[in-house]
Amino acid sequence: MRISLEDVWHVYSPGTAFETVALRGVSLSVEPGEVLGIVGGTGSGKSTLAAHLNLLLRPTSGRVLVDGRDALALRKSELRRRVGLVFQFPEQALFAPSVEEDVAFAPRQMGLGPEAVEERTAAALGVLGIAHLARRPTRALSGGEQRRAAIAGTLAMRPQVLVLDEPTAGLDPFSRRELLGVVRRLREEGTSVVLVSHDLDEVAEVSDRLCVMEGGAVRAEGTPEEVFYGELALAPTTVRVAARVRESAPGLGRPVSYDETLRSLRALIGG
Amino acid sequence: MAPGAGRGTGQFYPADSPLHALDPRAKILAVAALVVGLFLVDSVAGFLAVGAALLCLVQVSRVPPSTFLRLLRPVAVIVAFTALFQVAFVREGEVVFGLWVFQAHSEGLRLAAHLALRILLLVAAAALLTATTPPLSLSDGIEDLLSPLKRFRFPAHEIAMMMTIALRFIPTLHEEARKIIMAQAARGADFTEGGLIQRVRALVPVLVPLTVGAFRRADELAEAMESRGYRGGEGRTRYRELSFRGRDATALCIAVLIPVGGILL
Repeated sequence: MRISLEDVWHVYSPGTAFETVALRGVSLSVEPGEVLGIVGGTGSGKSTLAAHLNLLLRPTSGRVLVDGRDALALRKSELRRRVGLVFQFPEQALFAPSVEEDVAFAPRQMGLGPEAVEERTAAALGVLGIAHLARRPTRALSGGEQRRAAIAGTLAMRPQVLVLDEPTAGLDPFSRRELLGVVRRLREEGTSVVLVSHDLDEVAEVSDRLCVMEGGAVRAEGTPEEVFYGELALAPTTVRVAARVRESAPGLGRPVSYDETLRSLRALIGG
Repeated sequence: MAPGAGRGTGQFYPADSPLHALDPRAKILAVAALVVGLFLVDSVAGFLAVGAALLCLVQVSRVPPSTFLRLLRPVAVIVAFTALFQVAFVREGEVVFGLWVFQAHSEGLRLAAHLALRILLLVAAAALLTATTPPLSLSDGIEDLLSPLKRFRFPAHEIAMMMTIALRFIPTLHEEARKIIMAQAARGADFTEGGLIQRVRALVPVLVPLTVGAFRRADELAEAMESRGYRGGEGRTRYRELSFRGRDATALCIAVLIPVGGILL
């Protein structure tokens, strides 16, 4: 499915002293099967934008379209099932005694039968690589394991689009790697992923397309290559290094991720 | 910022007004006087007079009246119910009108009006205090007013600190509840459908993480306070000293005169 935002504005607490304009006319689309990276500093409107993708927040003005139809016309439950949204620190919303039961919450809410619920729960735990933790109490898990359990809880709905808001925040490098692996796996299986992050390196690694937010508006959009080489100030360190090397060795190409950069450099020095 | 971060109602509204500038102790005593006074007022005209005076104060406070209306709306429901009961069940005085099996008696109508006006004015007065006084000043004021009791080992500072913390965490918990509600809604939780039992059950996924979070926060806060050397009220000085000036005394006199006027009417 394709989600597009058309000139979306969002104002918090309108008409009061606390009025804040969080989105200023954002137009953007999430294409089927792609990984879209949304980057930007704190307060740039990333999270607010994410919450519009399944209308948990409604635009103050502008439209959200799902496959060309106004998303407001869709049933809320239907939309939330098709667009899975995982907020920042989702482990804070774990509530069931065991991992299994927590992950089973969403499919149960969908009204599925016991076998289907079990099947989806097991599958989601498998994708996140935590099948062995199914019967453990949620509170007994490490931070990284809790995070994955929470993401499995949304994945169990089998969404067509999975929105992850800062999924790696506060995680150790290993859990981080594994989560990025999950993103790649989901993409291979045809699920679109929207990855909201402020970590340029990780976004560079998995995104097909990037959207850079600033002050509630889209500042730049395109493939990671276009965005990073278009404005080096927005690029991760590896790209900045590659760009410097290119000045004297144009044959380097325009690598984006760490691995790509390494490969290009190797090829360049004939190693 | 998290999506949807906003402010609840009934909180401090920053503005530059004479009411904001008053000493919190003066404002607390003024509200106390108003509250006591309101229980002595015994005529609709009196209530209306107090109401008019409060409206003037709202004007002076520069807090938009809509803030108060939002706060009064939920109270209005309770008030309406209570008033309705008075009208339906008080059987003194002459019958004014009848509806189906109910008959409205003059005494019931009088009591209903008094009760409704009294509650609304009480809430409005309290709202005016919290809207114009930052929570920290408010608890400073309370601590100061309670401090004579310290002689009897009354923990005035600790009570005030507990109130400060409680007040400080209302918006935090409110925000956290909102986040958890959104997170569970994203997983298909539905808080608006079904009967009473279903709705209560729907709250479990919200209340469990909220409680766990509250305890975690309490632990963290206690540690943060201790690591910065907090050891209770003994020998503790204040960053901002309160000072009771002439204008505070004047304001207090006016606050006492408002209900007195209402009582006399």
